[in-house]
This record gives sequence, C-alpha cells and structure tokens, in this order.
Amino acid sequence: MITGGLDLGAGAIKGVLLEDGRRILATASVPSRGIPIQAARQVLDELGETANIAPGDIDYLCTTGFGRYTIPERNLQVSDFTSSARGAIFLFPGTRLVVDIGTQASRTMSVSETGRVLKFKMNEKCAAGAGRFVERCSKYLQVPLEEMGPKALASGHPKLISSVCAVLAETEIINNVSEGVPLPDILMGVFLSLSQRAYSLMRYVGIQPEITLVGGLVRNVGMVKAIHDTVGMDVNVAPDAYYAAALGSAFLGHSRLLKLGQAAQGTRG
Amino acid sequence: MSVVVAGVDLGSTTAKCVVLGEDSQILGKSLSVVGVDIVKDAERALEAALVDAHIPRSDVAFITGTGYGRYKVYFGQLVVTEISCHARGANFLYPGTRLVVDIGGQDTKAIRINEKGEVVDFAMNDKCAAGTGRFLEVCANALGYDVGEIGPLSLQARRAVKVTSTCTVFAESEVTSYLSRGKDPKDILAGLHASIANRTLSLMQRVGVEPEITFTGGVSQNQGMVSALQRRLGAPINVNSLSQYLGALGAALHGRERITGGAE
Repeated sequence: MITGGLDLGAGAIKGVLLEDGRRILATASVPSRGIPIQAARQVLDELGETANIAPGDIDYLCTTGFGRYTIPERNLQVSDFTSSARGAIFLFPGTRLVVDIGTQASRTMSVSETGRVLKFKMNEKCAAGAGRFVERCSKYLQVPLEEMGPKALASGHPKLISSVCAVLAETEIINNVSEGVPLPDILMGVFLSLSQRAYSLMRYVGIQPEITLVGGLVRNVGMVKAIHDTVGMDVNVAPDAYYAAALGSAFLGHSRLLKLGQAAQGTRG
Repeated sequence: MSVVVAGVDLGSTTAKCVVLGEDSQILGKSLSVVGVDIVKDAERALEAALVDAHIPRSDVAFITGTGYGRYKVYFGQLVVTEISCHARGANFLYPGTRLVVDIGGQDTKAIRINEKGEVVDFAMNDKCAAGTGRFLEVCANALGYDVGEIGPLSLQARRAVKVTSTCTVFAESEVTSYLSRGKDPKDILAGLHASIANRTLSLMQRVGVEPEITFTGGVSQNQGMVSALQRRLGAPINVNSLSQYLGALGAALHGRERITGGAE
C-alpha cells in the first residue's frame, strides 16, 4: 500500500511517498513560487520517478500546509499541526515537543505518546520569527541562503538583535555591518533572534524532552545550533525532518486507508 | 541678547531643523535624510537651517534636540522627547489641536494634548514597522515606485484591494501577489493606505479621538494618507507643508520657554 503526503507550504512544496505506513520510498521538494498547484504536480512527478511508480499507483493522497485545499486529486487534508507532529513522531518516537519553523510561520506543539497534539502555539502574523526573515537577511547581507548556517558556526561573540520587527532589524543589521561586526557574529545573531522567538512559543506549550525540530529551517546548521543553545537541551534533528509535515500526512493517509478497509470489511461481514 | 532658538529633530529616517526668531517666526528650516553617522547628520541639519535663515551660528542662543536620535544632538543644551515636541509644535500651528497623530519613518504615535499644548495621554507603536513610513516605503518599492509618488497615485484608485497582512514583510508579499494577479497598482496602493489608516485609527482610539486632529511627521506629506485618514475618521484633519517640521518646531519652542523661564 503506497500513500502520498504533500505539504503545500509558503516557501516550498514538499512530498513523501510511504509504503505500508513504514518505509519512506521517496522525498521531493520544489519552491512554491506563487503557483502551488504547478509545483505540487512537479513534486508528484519527481516522487514517482524516484520510487519508480506511476501516479495511479498512489493509493491515497493526503495534503497539508497553507495550500492543502488547492489539490483536487487529494483524498484527505490535515492541518499543519497534526501532520508535522505526526512526522516528528515517525522520525523520533520519543518526541514530546515539536518545533516547526517554516518560511511564513513558526509553531510548537506538545504531543502525547500516541502522537496526539496536546497544546500548540503559532506565530503567523509577523515575519520576525519565520524563515522569511532569514531569506531577507541572506539578500541584503549577500550571503547565499545555504551558506548562512555554516558561516554562522564560526561566530565567537554573536551580535544579538534588539529589534523585534524583521524590517527594523534590517536597519540594525546594516548598522552592525558598517560598524565592522564580523559576519559570522551577525549571522548567528539572526539565528538567535529566531530561536528566542521560538523559545517563547515553546515555553507556552511546555518544554520537555525529547524535542524534535522540523520544517523549512531544520537543514540550516546555524538555526539548529541557535535552538540548541537557547533551549540548553539536546534537540532531535534528521535530514528527513525537513519533510516532516509531508511525511506525517502520508502516515495519516495510511492510517485512514487502514480504517476505511476495516470499515468496509466490517460492513461486508 | 539675541533670542534666536533652534530645534533639531533627529528622526529614524530624516533630520529636521527649525530656527525661530524673536517673535517665534520661522527664520529657516532644513530637512535631510539621515545615514549611519547621525551625530554628523544632526550638525548638517543645523547648518543647513542656518544657511536657509541667513544667520551665523553665533546668533543662536539655545538649541534643543528631539527625536529618536535626540541624545546624539551633542551641540544642544536641552533634550526633550518627540512626544512633547510634536504636542507643542501642533499647538503652536493649530491652537485648537486636541489630538496629534504623528506618523514617522519608523514609528506611529497618537498624542492627546490640552489647550496649552501639554501632553495628556499618548499611545505609540515603535516595536514594529507596520503602519509607519517604512511600511509605505517597502510596499512602494515592491510596486516599483518611489515613496513620494504613491500618495497621489492611490487617490486615482477605482476599487481599493483589501490588504490583510499587518506585518510589513508579509504585506510586501501580498502586494506582489496582487500584482501577479493583474490588479491595478493604484488599487493596491489605495488598499495599503486604507490599511494604515485603520491601524492608525485604533491607536488614536486608545487615547480618545477628539477634534481638532493635527497630522504631523513625514507621512503627513502623503496626500493619499491624509485622504485615507480623513475618510476613516469622517472628519477633517489639520495638515500643511510645515507638518513634517512640527517636532523640530516644538523643540525650538521648548528651548525658548527654558531661556525665558516660561514667561512669554
């Protein structure tokens, strides 16, 4: 049984193919660029290619993320909280707190042993706590996005940012550059400002191990270090955590399919 | 002894200076964009206003600094908050003022004042660029305009779009997506101005909306914003070409009171 999970986020569309709810067959990601449905089709094509299956071979498709209602061929859609929590537990079964930092929103969820979301908190009103802030910094500091993390790791004395607002922080950062603050310290300051915002969301739902980091920024080593340093605890990180929400929705799709099968058998019997 | 006084308003985006003569007539003024070295920017603002006034610096008896960078006006003898200065300046220009709305480059304030130009209450947003001049600037650039052009353009709108984002960064994305959906930039601009007017009104309501209302700060020179605010309020507001200088003017007036001991 093959189930697909599609996460239609603000920054990228992520997809996962899951076999029997256990084995990851393929992952893919394409930037959203304003036309999510087109990017989603591309993700499905790439998934099929990697797993060597035809689109018709996907038994059940479950969507999540901002754009989850835009895909007509979906069988089910689930909220971002549910899917990314489920994905975190799939990767790290001991997870009790999920931190999901995406392009346009950041959220934290506390989860039960069975994977139910107990409490959640989200920031979607303001760019300061989200990946968009890092993207903007990348632009005006002229450091490619993928180099920001590795460069930040060289920081000895991170330059903290006092502005809460992403736009006002820009002025502050540019002033720091002109005052000669080393680039790694500036970059680490950016990540720390994000991790401090995430920390206040985390405190709201309750901090307890294990903590699992998922979402768009999980591939950024600077962000991971900042979260680790801010929380003062070990944080679970895995390469597939970038796909956590897509993975979670593929898993939930599988569970639903099983239930449907049982129900069908029940009526027959 | 000469009683020429000067006020320097060192804002987040521009520096303003006003030089006042003996009868509190404006002898000279200046407006310049601030850079990284705001200490120098303050000096330049004063020098430019003195050139405009055709008087030497030695004629100025007292200088007051105000604004975001007021502690960097090192050559001044007094520092007063911009809230008191806008209140004083608005009272001077429009004595009937009871509510001052100051929209600057980086913050927004609503200041309720009494008939003497003293502050009774105020509310401000200085944590976030939403609803400030910076918001307009970012959105103007996203549409390919200069911030000075967008007010008049917004007045030509036929059907304003609804801008839902509060955050400047997200509003910028919203503007871009409206553009890509083929919306008329003028309609988008009208939507942006209406959204700031809404935000400003809620700030004003926190201190109490009472006429007369005087609009100060850099954004007061944006006709689109004046019109959006008036439409939202359903009442006229005081504004003129001096509105942007009211912080500096108020600072100069505070300085004058200091040297005359308030006996004027």
